[in-house]
Amino acid sequence: MGTDVEDLSAAGGVRTLPAPAGEARRRPARRGPTLLVRLRPWLLLAAPLAVIAVLLLYPIVRVVYLSFQEYGLKEIISGHPRFVGWANYREAVSGDYLWKTVLPNTVLFALVAVAGTVGLGTLVALLLQALGPRMRAAVIGAALVAWALPAVTGTYVWVWIFDPDSGLVRRALQGAGLLGPDGYNWFTDRLSFYAIAELNVIHHSYPFVAVTLFAGLTTVPQELYEAARLDGANAWQRFWRITVPVLRPVFAVVTVLSTIWDFKVFTQVYLMPGGSGTNPDVLNLGVWSYMKAINQNQYGLGAAIAVLLTLVLLAITAVYLRVLFREEEIR
Amino acid sequence: MRPLRRAGTAALTASLFLLVAACGNDGSSSSSSSSAGGKTLTWWVMKGTNPDASAFYAAAKKEFKAETGATLKVQEVEWADAHDKLVRAFASGDGPDVSEIGTTWTPEFAAAGGLDDLTSRISSSGMGKDLIPALKDSATYDGKQYGVGWYAGVRAIVYRKDVFDQLGLKPPTNWAQLEQLVKTLKAKKPGMMPMPIAGQSSYASAPFIWGAGGDFATESNGKWTGALDSPQARAGLTFYTNLALKDGSSSVGAATWKETDLLDSFVKGKAAMVIQGNWTPKTAISQNPSLKNEIGAFPIPGKDGGIAPAFLGGSNLAVLKTSKNPDLAWKFISMMTTGDLSTKWADQAGYFPSTTTALKSYANSTDPLVAPFAKAMLDAGKNVPSAPQWGTVEGNQTVTQMLQSILTGTSVDKATTTASNAITKTLNGN
Repeated sequence: MGTDVEDLSAAGGVRTLPAPAGEARRRPARRGPTLLVRLRPWLLLAAPLAVIAVLLLYPIVRVVYLSFQEYGLKEIISGHPRFVGWANYREAVSGDYLWKTVLPNTVLFALVAVAGTVGLGTLVALLLQALGPRMRAAVIGAALVAWALPAVTGTYVWVWIFDPDSGLVRRALQGAGLLGPDGYNWFTDRLSFYAIAELNVIHHSYPFVAVTLFAGLTTVPQELYEAARLDGANAWQRFWRITVPVLRPVFAVVTVLSTIWDFKVFTQVYLMPGGSGTNPDVLNLGVWSYMKAINQNQYGLGAAIAVLLTLVLLAITAVYLRVLFREEEIR
Repeated sequence: MRPLRRAGTAALTASLFLLVAACGNDGSSSSSSSSAGGKTLTWWVMKGTNPDASAFYAAAKKEFKAETGATLKVQEVEWADAHDKLVRAFASGDGPDVSEIGTTWTPEFAAAGGLDDLTSRISSSGMGKDLIPALKDSATYDGKQYGVGWYAGVRAIVYRKDVFDQLGLKPPTNWAQLEQLVKTLKAKKPGMMPMPIAGQSSYASAPFIWGAGGDFATESNGKWTGALDSPQARAGLTFYTNLALKDGSSSVGAATWKETDLLDSFVKGKAAMVIQGNWTPKTAISQNPSLKNEIGAFPIPGKDGGIAPAFLGGSNLAVLKTSKNPDLAWKFISMMTTGDLSTKWADQAGYFPSTTTALKSYANSTDPLVAPFAKAMLDAGKNVPSAPQWGTVEGNQTVTQMLQSILTGTSVDKATTTASNAITKTLNGN
């Protein structure tokens, strides 16, 4: 899925874009292509657009519509929701909870997770490049297992590792004399809760980055490295001066995708002890929205929170894409 | 990059198909054909920790057919999804005719206008008088009755008889004895938790709140006020949580445990006592047969003796407003709640029947895993505040948030004030 997006953007910047531009310049001379010609791209796109409209557009429109309504149990049964204007949004943004708890949880978690995922993914990609074919297969295999593991299973594994009473970590720390005999419940403290969630999410998502970057690495011309070596560049310099600039589009895409995924992380938080609402300190935007809508039947408020999350994501993605394409143009 | 890209496309396509399939599947599973000419009645049953009930369903279907000539369609719904599914059924209008509905949800659904008023049917049938009062309360909203109690359960302390015998201990009869018991077990059985206190089991704390004279909320002139910050409730909660915090009866992990984790630790032999529902000893023994003759039960003692009020959980049977066969639905409910089918179910599922007469025989039972629970239920069964918004308090997890925060270091005063204010706000919401 990710590679598709990346290919499109890379191709769009280099190959596809100039063509329509040229065509457009030629077009006025011939004056008015037939209707069919003008419609052709849309006809070709019709099927995927229809799928997107059904799967994506309708739910989005519905959620936005819902976010302006009071929509609880009474309204569901009577079938008559009430429009309340911005009241749901006002409720979501008023008070400390969003600003002091939910938003920091969401944003800081995503920042650390993206940095961790891309960092670890890059290191593993470089490792793969340095390995022989057999070891490479072994490392890719191990990474893909982590990737293929469903989020639910992965979360339970991490919860089990950190089980406060009998988990591996407790035993290891007690064996090393770093933890008292009573142990410690990692899931009740906001920082340690999110540290475990970070481990889980980074472990789950680095293989995608590693494999994508490794694929990108194979396309970097070896001559560049040879020339750099002749000039006396060390590995560090070769990485920052050659690999990073050449693979910039790939880095941009894995970062954008990781950001989107890590912002809307839900399963990994919801399934941890205390993550489903008993510990209000650890909710993020996704879980909070779910709690409000599904557990508390305030569908309007839940929808408003979901819309806010989408807006934050769109803003971040827009900034990323702007930066990416501006740099492409300069080069 | 090529093969990878193709694989990506394939994966995307596959996932789209899966998505479509999932949506389709979801739609069909929640729908039902309720009113095919008045011949079919759809019934939702909750599925939880109780054993497989297919034999009972077969018997119910047969009896219903013989009695009315109509076909009974049984659909099982997981407890965890049930609230959500019922809400969706109300929204779509193609839900069941009759549904089992948790006692704490009944006022909520009744107030929202989703259930049929059954008051006149119940009073004309005369079954109202025999219903256990706490169950009757749970189905009453605004003076009208929207459901009939089907079965009920109550929590008590399940304990390891072998451990007690070995140390010469006896079940406690008041709170001081309970605390002493915990201390003794802690000292003499260091490998075992005396009594784990689960942070996410709100109804295990109820006997201590009620037992000290407190309550979750009180009503006066139609206005509800959260009462967990009363001195009595605070004293009860302090005693309960101090068992974990001061006397070491629990573990650090238990602060984030659910009720199922309590049972789990008991089954694995890690706990000497746990607060559990009366339907669970059967489950415990089936999971660990070596416990068969080693476990017993006693009601949670009152502060100064007697039995502390215990939360009486259970289920009502209710007719959904959208049902097209309300008469048939009522016939079915009366069959299920009185006579043969009701005791059959109670025996098979390990729950108690919903009528006082039927329950009395259980209280006189010689089974050490039945009588203590039945006694607690008969003498001290109590329901949560019957405000329609109590279901939302549960959804908000206000009580478990409070328990968990106390168990992880927040002071009782602060935690109860927060919880109490939240309850006041929720119960007086529209």
